[in-house]
Amino acid sequence: MPAGLASYIARRLIIVPFVLLIVSFVTFALGRYAPGDYVDIQAGPRANQETIDRIRHDRGLDDPVYEQYARYMSNVLQGDLGVSQNPRGVPVEDVLFPRLWVSVQINALALLFTWLIGIPLGTWAALKRGTWMDPFSIGLFLSFASVPVLVSVPLLEWIFIVKLQLLPTGGWSTDHVLGVKLGIFSLKAVLPVFVLTLSGVAGLARYMRSQVIEVLDQDFVRTARAKGLRGDVVVFRHVIRNAMLPIVTIFGFELAGLIGGSIFVESLLGIPGVGQLAFQAVTTRDYDTIMAIVLLGSTIFVLAMLAVDIAYGFIDPRIRSGGGLPT
Amino acid sequence: MENRNLVYVLTGIAVSLIVVIGGLVLLLSSGGGGDGGNGGDSSPTLAARQQGELRLPGGDPITLDPACASDIESASYIYEIFSGLVGYDKELQLIPDIAERWDTSDDGTVYTFYLRTSVLFHDNSRRVTAGDFKFSMERALNPDTQSSVADVYLDDLVGVDEYIDGSAQEVSGIKVIDPDTLELTIKAADPVFLPKLSYPTAFVVDKNQVEGSSCFEASWTFKANGTGPFELAEWDLSNAIILEPNQNYYLDPKPQLSKVTYLLSGGSSFTMYQNDEIDVTGVGKDNVESVRDPSSDLNAEYHISTTLSVSYIGFNVDREPLNDPDVRRALAMAIDKEFLTDNLYKGLLNPANGILPPEMPGFNENLDGVTFDAEAASDLLDSTGKKDELDGIKILTAGQGAAPDDVLQAITAMWEQNLGISVEVEQEDFGLLQSDLQDKNFDMFSIGWIADYPDPQNFLEIKFHSGSSNNDTGYSNPDVDDLLDQASGDVDAQERIDLYQQAEQLIVDDQPWIPLFYGTSSILVKPDVKGYEAAPFAIPSLRYVSVDR
Repeated sequence: MPAGLASYIARRLIIVPFVLLIVSFVTFALGRYAPGDYVDIQAGPRANQETIDRIRHDRGLDDPVYEQYARYMSNVLQGDLGVSQNPRGVPVEDVLFPRLWVSVQINALALLFTWLIGIPLGTWAALKRGTWMDPFSIGLFLSFASVPVLVSVPLLEWIFIVKLQLLPTGGWSTDHVLGVKLGIFSLKAVLPVFVLTLSGVAGLARYMRSQVIEVLDQDFVRTARAKGLRGDVVVFRHVIRNAMLPIVTIFGFELAGLIGGSIFVESLLGIPGVGQLAFQAVTTRDYDTIMAIVLLGSTIFVLAMLAVDIAYGFIDPRIRSGGGLPT
Repeated sequence: MENRNLVYVLTGIAVSLIVVIGGLVLLLSSGGGGDGGNGGDSSPTLAARQQGELRLPGGDPITLDPACASDIESASYIYEIFSGLVGYDKELQLIPDIAERWDTSDDGTVYTFYLRTSVLFHDNSRRVTAGDFKFSMERALNPDTQSSVADVYLDDLVGVDEYIDGSAQEVSGIKVIDPDTLELTIKAADPVFLPKLSYPTAFVVDKNQVEGSSCFEASWTFKANGTGPFELAEWDLSNAIILEPNQNYYLDPKPQLSKVTYLLSGGSSFTMYQNDEIDVTGVGKDNVESVRDPSSDLNAEYHISTTLSVSYIGFNVDREPLNDPDVRRALAMAIDKEFLTDNLYKGLLNPANGILPPEMPGFNENLDGVTFDAEAASDLLDSTGKKDELDGIKILTAGQGAAPDDVLQAITAMWEQNLGISVEVEQEDFGLLQSDLQDKNFDMFSIGWIADYPDPQNFLEIKFHSGSSNNDTGYSNPDVDDLLDQASGDVDAQERIDLYQQAEQLIVDDQPWIPLFYGTSSILVKPDVKGYEAAPFAIPSLRYVSVDR
């Protein structure tokens, strides 16, 4: 690793805690300033106001926001993420981590399929530029991607579950594989993965297509062809490799997105993932759960971005040979 | 070139549309014979069903701690796992539960409960004694437990206030006479004291398990050791809750199911029912017409029953011009409730004339309510001279910001059409709505109320007595207060009902609420499930159920 790269990584790593501090404080303050809190919401319609106020006081919810924040962060640094409010009183990690694992499984599988289909499709469409196949295939996938999840999920459910009875109803069930709880071998994972893949492919393919076209038009490709290199060699060795460069950034984002759940897909199909949890946590002012999701999400996002930048250094021959660093 | 590309893109889109729509048409046309929803192939991923197992849709309860439950979903699990001195049977009669019988002193303030000697905690470690009840109720009331509801249901007891403010170490009104005898002393005779004891806050919990746990420390509830008809076998968060019958249960009928599985992960329960994954599902207005169709396979499995609930529009009676009863009556008169129940709710709700729902003791068939009359409504509003003041007033409702509920849209359209006023619907999430109601920061709001126990007090006194903390509208009528106070004193049952009916009539005349609809429970139940009835409010109900499979 070049010395420049190492100090670059070090500098970036130093920033990470500050980014997280800002993100966490803003999220924390937004939550506390939003009207109502979990004591209010869960007190039930018959609770006495004095009792609600007393509980709120006992739980420190009437302290100044910065005090509550300091208390929260000091707990987090000691490894205490607080308690969930839904179900109430369960440690946040017991609620969050199983759901995180569910979302990661679905997202990883969808990501894999998206890339397995999207990259070849985009490349193929670019190479077929000027024929009917290029706009046709892109149009086909675009129309699938344009159908909102709110429409496609009930439709697919009706077709595959109710009519054809090929798949079980939404929800999530797990098998133990080598001691690990896995849900992706269950047929219940088919629909969510399918829906997420469908909506991802078109975007990726279009992006890949435009990258490939850009590269195809560049001088070095023309030179390579002029030198008499075989078409497939040019495509695989030169075109795809160069076209993939900016795509790596997307991959970084999507990698970070693995831990985020799709609120709609998860809610509609009843998948106990992070998206469903986040939505529920926000509407019930489940502060500690919201904070845990945001903290975890932003940490992974920041680290993924860092990884992308570093990966750039290795993939991009210009950066590698020149020793220059991405900015 | 450009044009040709466009043509190809459009062709691509067209082909995908043709494939999708063509496929749908094919599926639809083959519908007749292929609709084998009840064919019996259960999903390959579900563990094999046990003989006598009931599968139900559900959600994670907010809590399984009886001292802390304030919502119906939590209570519905708690009623199966825990139990208390008294309870309700499915005919809504108050019955002895762990208490075998009780005496009441002449002035109605001292209750002596004689406990069954055969009641064991689920783990069979020991029997339930009067001391367990004293511990459980004091734990619920202890400020360190941080329960928001314990003082609501147990505040009749002598010494509660001293115990909560810390000046007493125990609740003096709860006395252990001997292990089988418990004496509860209340401040004044209260006809709903026993109904309130049927609520989970008065249920017995295992001291060894819960000691020191507040409502915000729930780890013990995953192994809850109760006394109810069913035992908690497993609670796998957001996945499943599994109950097994309590072999030592002390009431008849004893639980007959071999196992109850609540599937918590969600999804469309109607589809799950069609797919034979669950035995019961609710039927909403989107599906009810197809289910009611006599030619539908599901028709015979459909059941509808009333619940002890009412939905209503509440007014801020302290705010101009809604402080004028004539303005409120005009607004009420302009709403065609029958049209709404028939067309928007497809008969899933019944138009409400008064406050008390039909199954509630004291329901008055002859109540003189406000009936729909568009012309009279308009005349009445004009006569008040306050029509202009109504323009731009808002109605609050709970919602997530999509298009408001179509019923509220229809109601505001009726006001616009019949009275010429425009009312804005404002959606807030539930937390904000609750805090706005507490702060009286509203003109009108739309919400519902469901019974905690089948007694008119639970609706009339709690929502309309000027001194009640649940009186959201701010309604205050000395005559009504007087009647309600008399009714909650030491009077005989029939006189009590009469007093409540008089109070209800006065309230309806004033219309601090526009009562809109009485609730129903509309469900599908598999034919081999016997004895399942949707309870009109949360009560233990699964011990009446059996499955012939």
